[in-house]
Amino acid sequence: MNHDALHHLIAAWLDGRITAEDSATLQETLRTSPEARAEFRRWTQLDAALREQAERGVEVAPSEKIVPVRFRTLGWLAAAASFAALLGIAALWQHDRKHTIAPQIASQPPEQTNTGCAILTRATDAEFPDAAGLRVGDTIRPGALHLTHGAAQIEFFSGASMILQAGASLDLISPWEATCRSGKVTVRVPPPAQGFKLRTAGMDLVDLGTEFGVNADAGGATEVHVFEGKVEAHPENAAMQLLSTGQSLRRDGNHTLSAGKAKPEDFPSIEGLNEISASHSRARYEAWWQHMQQVKADPRLIACYLFKHGPDDRWNRLVNNFAEPNVDSRSGGAVGVKWTEGRWPMKDALEFKSPGDRVRVNLGQEIYSAITLAAWVRVDGLDRKYNALLLTDGYDPGNPHWQIYEDGRLMFSIAYPIPGVSDAKKKNNQIYYSPPVFDLTNQRRWHHVAVTYDNQSGEAVQYLDGGEISREISPFHQPGRTVQFGPCEIGNWGLPTQGHQFPIRNFNGRIDEFLIYQAALTPAEVHTLFESGKPE
Amino acid sequence: MTADDPQHPLPAGRPDAGYEAFVRLLVEHEPRLRAYLRGLLPTWPDVEEVMQNASLVAWRKFSAFQPDTNFAGWLMTIARFEALKHRRSMARSPLVFSDDIWEMLADEASGDTEPANLRRDALEKCLGKLPSGQRELVLQAHTPGARLKEIAQQTGSSEQAFYKTMQRLRAALLECISHTMAQEGAA
Repeated sequence: MNHDALHHLIAAWLDGRITAEDSATLQETLRTSPEARAEFRRWTQLDAALREQAERGVEVAPSEKIVPVRFRTLGWLAAAASFAALLGIAALWQHDRKHTIAPQIASQPPEQTNTGCAILTRATDAEFPDAAGLRVGDTIRPGALHLTHGAAQIEFFSGASMILQAGASLDLISPWEATCRSGKVTVRVPPPAQGFKLRTAGMDLVDLGTEFGVNADAGGATEVHVFEGKVEAHPENAAMQLLSTGQSLRRDGNHTLSAGKAKPEDFPSIEGLNEISASHSRARYEAWWQHMQQVKADPRLIACYLFKHGPDDRWNRLVNNFAEPNVDSRSGGAVGVKWTEGRWPMKDALEFKSPGDRVRVNLGQEIYSAITLAAWVRVDGLDRKYNALLLTDGYDPGNPHWQIYEDGRLMFSIAYPIPGVSDAKKKNNQIYYSPPVFDLTNQRRWHHVAVTYDNQSGEAVQYLDGGEISREISPFHQPGRTVQFGPCEIGNWGLPTQGHQFPIRNFNGRIDEFLIYQAALTPAEVHTLFESGKPE
Repeated sequence: MTADDPQHPLPAGRPDAGYEAFVRLLVEHEPRLRAYLRGLLPTWPDVEEVMQNASLVAWRKFSAFQPDTNFAGWLMTIARFEALKHRRSMARSPLVFSDDIWEMLADEASGDTEPANLRRDALEKCLGKLPSGQRELVLQAHTPGARLKEIAQQTGSSEQAFYKTMQRLRAALLECISHTMAQEGAA
């Protein structure tokens, strides 16, 4: 029986629609052919795996009105593929010829699409209870946005930007339109975004290019102040009023119109936001630095790179090891990379861009039974199949490799000779993948990544932003085999295994903290590293 | 990723250390158990029912399980017995294979390990290579409770054409998975 005929029978059985005659043919084939039985098993395994995948897809489909599009690849992509697109594809199937599917499967994955209407560009101590986890750089989708604490700035895709004060409650409708339910906001509309509309309970405002403030109080009164330029105010059941610089209009809960009562300084301003965000950054930076005073004295540290370079380093190439007591030989040497801004304006970071960029470190020949790698990174792109975080020179037995796979999964691996096999080149490669965590929506933002590995349990636990994302024991694990670093590189692969298919692994992005421990930190400890160092 | 809550309710009470160890093992082996039973039972409701039964039996017998021995093998043995019991209650139909074939399939499937045959990451990668409409369709057709006839209608093609498309998509995925796994020996 040829493949296609067998597949037809297996598929019919799986789909629960096999006829008695086909069932007899299938059973006869299975009875006589071990290959057919193996094929049958593969199809049933695929059926189970696809069902699992489909269930997961359902779980991650956007369900609330507003979801920051993060850490999701398949789920939201699948959800974004509209029903209309499905119908379009259906027309194609009818012309589907036998061999058209296999070549398609080798084609590129579909481009990621962005279905938001604005971006959160600044947030100072900001809390958005109905969009938990919303961070600077996140795309905001249409829906409710309520700022309960702090201050924030959002930029609509139309070009309009808005500053929100704590208490502001909005409904984002499109790049061109939003509703302010309550609270105070200031809107700045550059020429390309003229016509941006802000609705309030009793008044619609159309911006003709400028800056204005709105205060919608809980009692139903709305007040608009034009700081610069012109705004059309359309009060409900009353004539439109054109307001110019310095003018204001108030509509009370009882529908009476009057001049505004508030003063310009009562509205959030860009200067005010600059000031609080500068002082907030300073405070976050100092809190982090304070915390690092304890961290760097942790005796479990092998090395502690805080990416802070002093005026005494005239060449700007030294990456100090801050671990105490200090082992100077473990300080790193910057190659190619440039100093740049880190998580806060006053924090240094190194920027990795070119294929040659790297930080060389030598962690010595000591052997360890457990390790933790923890770093603050800003991924700017996943250019390579494997994108290095920390790679040992070569990949000898017990050498850990930590990288990001091209599809956004964090990947930790360590290899050992196969027991009973004398050929040292043959290794059991213990690879641990996290689910995909990096995609276009969360690149160019600071994230904390960490992995712990314990050679007794064989368990590798991976973390993103202080939370566990995977925990796994390799099937190849054997207790007690040691870990050794030796010479390594942060952000590149110094000495690729000879003849390796993928030798170029340079990281594209920034790193501004890298800690290496000779112990597996607990989830709580990793969480603390994230909490004390998070940028916002 | 690990889930810390079991998908199947277990007897309340006795929240001892054994319980936690059991849940952990069960969750770890659940995908394999599912795949194993899918190859032995004609429909998903059958699979779900036998999974429940097998999980309960395994929990009751867990105190007799020797730690550090092969949990997967132990669990599959229980599952096979439960599947056999379930089979006896099923009416004859073209979906139910004869006893000798069932025995062969059960023997051979118990030796399977997931990584050797169908690695999940390879599946994800291959799904990612499908055009989004086709990927959506495959996942939609495999969503629990999906009605294939309705999906076929939605797509506007005939049922026959729809089934043929699904068959080819699955064959293409399997081929891509084998290819991916063969290629990714080294890292």
